[in-house]
Amino acid sequence: MALKIIESCVNCFACEPVCPSQAIFAAEPHFLIDPKKCTECEGAHAVPQCASICPIEGALLDSLGEAINPPGSLTGIPPEKMAQAMAELRSH
Amino acid sequence: MDLPVLNIPETAKEGGCSASSCGSSDSQVNHLPDHIREKVQNHPCYSEDAHHYFARMHVAVAPACNIQCHYCNRKYDCANESRPGVVSELLTPEQAVKKTMAVAAKIPQMTVLGIAGPGDPLANPERTFETFRMLTRDAPDIKLCVSTNGLQLPESVDELAKANIDHVTITINTIDAEIGAKIYPWIFWKNRRIKGRKGAQILIDQQQKGLEMLVQRGILVKVNSVMIPGINDEHLAEVSRTVKSKGAFLHNVMPLIAEAEHGTFYGVMGQRGPTPDELMDLQERCSGDMNMMRHCRQCRADAVGLLGEDRGAEFTLDKIDAMEIDYASAMEMRRQVQEGIMADMESKRSTQQKKAKPAVPDGARPVLMAVATSGQGIINQHFGHAKEFQIYQASPEGVRFMSHRKTEQYCSGDSTCGDAESALAITVRSLAGCEAVLCSKIGYEPWEMLEEAGIVPNGEHAMESIEEAVMAVYREMLENGKVDETPAARRANAEM
Repeated sequence: MALKIIESCVNCFACEPVCPSQAIFAAEPHFLIDPKKCTECEGAHAVPQCASICPIEGALLDSLGEAINPPGSLTGIPPEKMAQAMAELRSH
Repeated sequence: MDLPVLNIPETAKEGGCSASSCGSSDSQVNHLPDHIREKVQNHPCYSEDAHHYFARMHVAVAPACNIQCHYCNRKYDCANESRPGVVSELLTPEQAVKKTMAVAAKIPQMTVLGIAGPGDPLANPERTFETFRMLTRDAPDIKLCVSTNGLQLPESVDELAKANIDHVTITINTIDAEIGAKIYPWIFWKNRRIKGRKGAQILIDQQQKGLEMLVQRGILVKVNSVMIPGINDEHLAEVSRTVKSKGAFLHNVMPLIAEAEHGTFYGVMGQRGPTPDELMDLQERCSGDMNMMRHCRQCRADAVGLLGEDRGAEFTLDKIDAMEIDYASAMEMRRQVQEGIMADMESKRSTQQKKAKPAVPDGARPVLMAVATSGQGIINQHFGHAKEFQIYQASPEGVRFMSHRKTEQYCSGDSTCGDAESALAITVRSLAGCEAVLCSKIGYEPWEMLEEAGIVPNGEHAMESIEEAVMAVYREMLENGKVDETPAARRANAEM
């Protein structure tokens, strides 16, 4: 059982100090979670700490590989609205 | 082509009290109590006067943040963008100290080192305070300051006082949780992500408590607010009154920056920023109660240099490595240069105070003018080279700095100027509301476009003090009946 940081991580350092298991470490090209140390914060906190401070939607996956913070959940931007804005920018 | 600087009027040559900074004592710093003025007179962010002379820098050591704001997107790190929260390279405390020492050696006007992100300095306490500790040891002459969202402020006040921080900026966009929920989607607090009104209320309480604690300790507090039309614009005058009553000494209302390409909530959702007029109106409404900062350039979290410029590209880590620096003599050089500037400013201040109010009829209409300057408080920039114009108001009370407006540079001096026409049109439009533009020189084409727009181009006051020149032009306008004329009538006259 462990969480995972994927390539959309922006290396903001926020998760590293809040991890109660010291499972998170800086690496190239982005921060990683040591799966042997990660407890998903069970027994320490009600919710996984890294996933509660991470500002990037989709950057953290649960043990099933699902995004803990799916698109729109943190910024409040509806995913279709974001897709539309990005498509408009690309067409310019 | 350049038009020559024509016929400098006799009055201006003779000086005396044709000179206008007569009465221009409305500089916000002159209004401050002496003990505060002492502290801020060489701080470019806290003193409008000082920002013409002194430089500052930010070091990007604080990447983590504990809240989300709807005007911020943590994914963007663009070298060409200039706005808060954007940086090119993140530094360790050791690298930050090295960079600060290098900049302070190459730019002896540098007085201030700030930590402003790209996240929140107090959400990165180890990196932030380690940087401050080393700088206190290695460059004790440099003032240290910090800019925070306030969430961790009450818990950090002791540490800030210990680190010799005597200036703190808190970004306070609201004191109403209902409004806060429209600005802050979440905060990270006591091991949880807290969304909506509840999160906003905690943030607001922490900001207000932090403000009070800092004031109790004699630490100067400036409050920044982002003006978001339709969200907090009507509410910011109340914020201004509240923070003043709690002891903040300066309020900086900044315009929202929101573009879809920034990928922020406001950008993508089409929330607009305020127009220059709306911003100035709000600043005026707040100013009855509070000292307002009007010269903020909303700089990057790794900005270097005078407020209007960014010399960050000269100080990348590899360039710093190649520099040979004698730190001791650099500090001595700073002392001499800065003493010279202070003496210069002091003599200007005392000349101004000696001069009587200008002989301008009471009740004359105030006039806005744009000025092209590259610093030192004088008109010393070519119209086409100006990256921004400073906006001054002339009135019977004197000359007052109001704001600055960024331009599209239409003349970059090389052959790639393909879009000259449209960029120039945008620049002229950005000067809407101004009735004259003062610069060292101006080309024929912009001259014509300005006249068509009802703005009088003026290259007659090159190398003169801004405030004196603005007042001289104002008097000339009064004498010629131009101040009674409406801008529309002036445009009609220009066409005849």
